[in-house]
Amino acid sequence: MKKTLTLLAATTALCAGLSAPVWSTIRADASGEYPFAAMVERGQDALQVILASARDDDDDHEYRSGSRERYDDDDDDDDDDCEDEDGDDDDCGTKIGNAAPAGPVTPPNNGLFAPGTKPQVDVK
Amino acid sequence: MKSLLASLALSTALTLPGLAMARPVTLTTTLTNYGGPGAYLALYVTDSTGAYAGSLWMAGGKSKYYKHLTDWHRATGGNTSEINGITGASVGAGRTLTINLDLADALFDAGYTLHIDGAVEDYRDSPNEIKLPLTTDGAGKPVTGRRYVASFQYDM
Repeated sequence: MKKTLTLLAATTALCAGLSAPVWSTIRADASGEYPFAAMVERGQDALQVILASARDDDDDHEYRSGSRERYDDDDDDDDDDCEDEDGDDDDCGTKIGNAAPAGPVTPPNNGLFAPGTKPQVDVK
Repeated sequence: MKSLLASLALSTALTLPGLAMARPVTLTTTLTNYGGPGAYLALYVTDSTGAYAGSLWMAGGKSKYYKHLTDWHRATGGNTSEINGITGASVGAGRTLTINLDLADALFDAGYTLHIDGAVEDYRDSPNEIKLPLTTDGAGKPVTGRRYVASFQYDM
């Protein structure tokens, strides 16, 4: 019996705690007072979500920067959206595609090469 | 049989002048140990007036970085059709890039100049790293670059 009463008291207290701010807010519409809702509202100031700017000031598109003075990263997150470790050939939104690699394609007919010949390249 | 011989003679006649007007050339580029990642290199030629004549090789496959090969990019507008079929990987610090190709005879002793632009991630761009007149006398004589190229020479 004692146990049942304790349980009843606990659930009543819990319900009262949860419903009081709601009741307060609803009631405030008529009276203009916020006995509990005021506390909740005050808390909201501290919990405000601050949206980050779309501009992160990093030099994503200056990957191969010629001068550190001009293109230094302000952030220390070391991210570089164009620096692809995955080996794909994305071009970071530029419209220019990559050139065809040597081998399957013949060199351009620019008058420098003998017709039909292909360069042989070696890196050591 | 007769037509086969005729076509053979014709193809030989057409091919020989082309071969006679070209010469095998080896371009050897050795980089310094600058300590960074692979270098992008653009090898190209200008004529006697300084106008861009064409590209010989592009070391580095991603077009988004070509703007850092500043002189080459200015001359070509970054047009990748200039380097289709003559593009390879970037060259690591301290390594040697050797290119064997058949170049037109008319390029030598006619006022043409070979240029190399270089660029390395997070390092300074180096336009005109090498600027070397193409002459028969200049063959086999190594020259030093400004920043990334330890030595360059062409042999015929």
